[in-house]
Amino acid sequence: MFSTSSQRKFWTFSDESELARLREKHNLNYISKHGAHIDEYQRYNFFLSPDEERLLLKQYELHLKEFCKRFSPPMPKGVVGTAFHYFKRFYLYNSTMDYHPKEILATCVYLACKVEEFNVSIGQFVANIKGDRDKASDIILNNELLLMQQLNYHLTIHNPFRPVEGFLIDIKTRCSLANPERLRSGIDEFLEKVFLTDACLLYAPSQIALAAVLHAASKEQENLDSYVTEMLFRDAGPDKLAILIEAVRKIRSLVKMVESPARERVRVIEKKLDRCRNQENNPDSEIYKRRMRELLDEDDMPHVSSNRMSLDTSGVTQVLSPSAS
Amino acid sequence: MDNDVSNYTVEGRIGEGAHGLVFKARHNPTGREVALKKILIKNLEDGIPVNVMREIKALQLLRCKYIIKLYNMFPRGMSLVLVLEYMSSGLWEMLHHNQQELTLPRVKTYALMLLKGTRYMHAHYVMHRDLKPANLLINHEGILKIADLGLARLYWPEGGRPYSHQVATRWYRAPELLYGARYYTEKVDLWSVGCIIAEMITKQPLFAGESDIEQLAIVLQHLGTPTEETWPKHTELPDFHKITFPDSTPTPWPELLPGVEMDAVNLVKSFIMYDADGRISAKDAVKHQWFVNKPTPATLDDMPKPKPK
Repeated sequence: MFSTSSQRKFWTFSDESELARLREKHNLNYISKHGAHIDEYQRYNFFLSPDEERLLLKQYELHLKEFCKRFSPPMPKGVVGTAFHYFKRFYLYNSTMDYHPKEILATCVYLACKVEEFNVSIGQFVANIKGDRDKASDIILNNELLLMQQLNYHLTIHNPFRPVEGFLIDIKTRCSLANPERLRSGIDEFLEKVFLTDACLLYAPSQIALAAVLHAASKEQENLDSYVTEMLFRDAGPDKLAILIEAVRKIRSLVKMVESPARERVRVIEKKLDRCRNQENNPDSEIYKRRMRELLDEDDMPHVSSNRMSLDTSGVTQVLSPSAS
Repeated sequence: MDNDVSNYTVEGRIGEGAHGLVFKARHNPTGREVALKKILIKNLEDGIPVNVMREIKALQLLRCKYIIKLYNMFPRGMSLVLVLEYMSSGLWEMLHHNQQELTLPRVKTYALMLLKGTRYMHAHYVMHRDLKPANLLINHEGILKIADLGLARLYWPEGGRPYSHQVATRWYRAPELLYGARYYTEKVDLWSVGCIIAEMITKQPLFAGESDIEQLAIVLQHLGTPTEETWPKHTELPDFHKITFPDSTPTPWPELLPGVEMDAVNLVKSFIMYDADGRISAKDAVKHQWFVNKPTPATLDDMPKPKPK
């Protein structure tokens, strides 16, 4: 249930300025950590500004959408939605200068595949990536744990797709609208765009779903207002209705404002990023390779004193009966 | 910050899971005993195993007295460490090493605990898919909790998505899974529950097959050759035509559960049915007459309190 979920409790924010504040904070953190030697007036000549980070991430969200669309075997919508949530959540608490979005993007999709039970092996997964596939799979697997940690292990995502199905069933049974199935293409198109906005960090999946349904209806020259006021919210009271109407209006306006960043600007930002990114997290750097080797060696639990360690394994997992799979 | 290994004092090794070791540890700030389940990722082809993902998702969703708690998680080198509630023993140990402790009132209490945990899971649309004594742990207070949710997954009540049939440990595996069903329901768990309750009563596994085929043979031999009436649409199951068994008539239940009182037999019977839709739900089973009859279920005070290892 969304109402009791970690998504609502930890990942639904009050407004856009709260999101902007978080993003700015992590931009500044990065700069103060890595830019002590640079004059304050010069720092944005070297580092990315919060606006530049936004633009870069918008570009990568488009890449994310394209990557999922071309993915073979065809990917269920839920995986795409979940990957978008992960990607957006990650960069609320991290700077693109610390972790390059191309690497996080692939990791988000890979993790989303697992969580949504769309089972593809790492080999199958990287077959969808251009370039050095062994390297890609190393990067993804190395980042998986980091991503989970940054998501605070909140893996379950409530996407708008199921509420959409619920609304369609409800409209079919309680509404006089002819052939509700014709709303589908408008809904799909809207939901594809909605993930390019911050709507999923601000609104409940059911609100987003309703915005999609209402948008699709108006595209078909239909009006579902009375369905919302007289059926859905008949007993809810005017306050709740007002909140919903405002949410739907806001979501629709966010979608209307979606636009692709200018190519030239993104190119400049990417160049800048190559120089100002954290080399410790750059898989091509020596320092990164050394850190990975160290991590590999650090695989034993520390313990108080080894003589207290019991080698007896007759504990929780002792089984006589055969095990599954 | 709880999510760092320095907050825990490791006191010993308590087991070995499919993906790594399990340690007993103490959470220093609170003094709480925990189990640290370490999942080693470096040798795993596809990164963090889907089973681990499922377990995390399920345990985050389920907050019930009769389901093990996941307190926290943290990375450690190339491993992921799950911080779980510490459980000093389990039903498997009870059945094999402390049989005399398993009196009828206590069996009823364990059965109720198992059913309440199952009822909670199913109310949240999670099916466990691997219920068995080894996955039912018992804490120092004597409370039984469902653990090892590595095969647990969300299901949609309307159905529609195929699931893997390679689930559930053989002895506790529902017959539709033995015939390779890909579309099944949470009722697979209730078959397992029936097997476990019967085993607690008789101290013998109900159907102990040495192989998947033998498992099916034993079930068919005892319940009789299925008919369209006892098991609608069973002939459409994927593996149904791959193997035929000699015709058999059902073994009378008193022979299958010798010396067991009628109400207990009735309860077990309502789980151990070919027709999954006919199996009693956990919600209804907790209200069964057997739990009302004397001897009544033991109180928590009367339950065995396993000592920490």
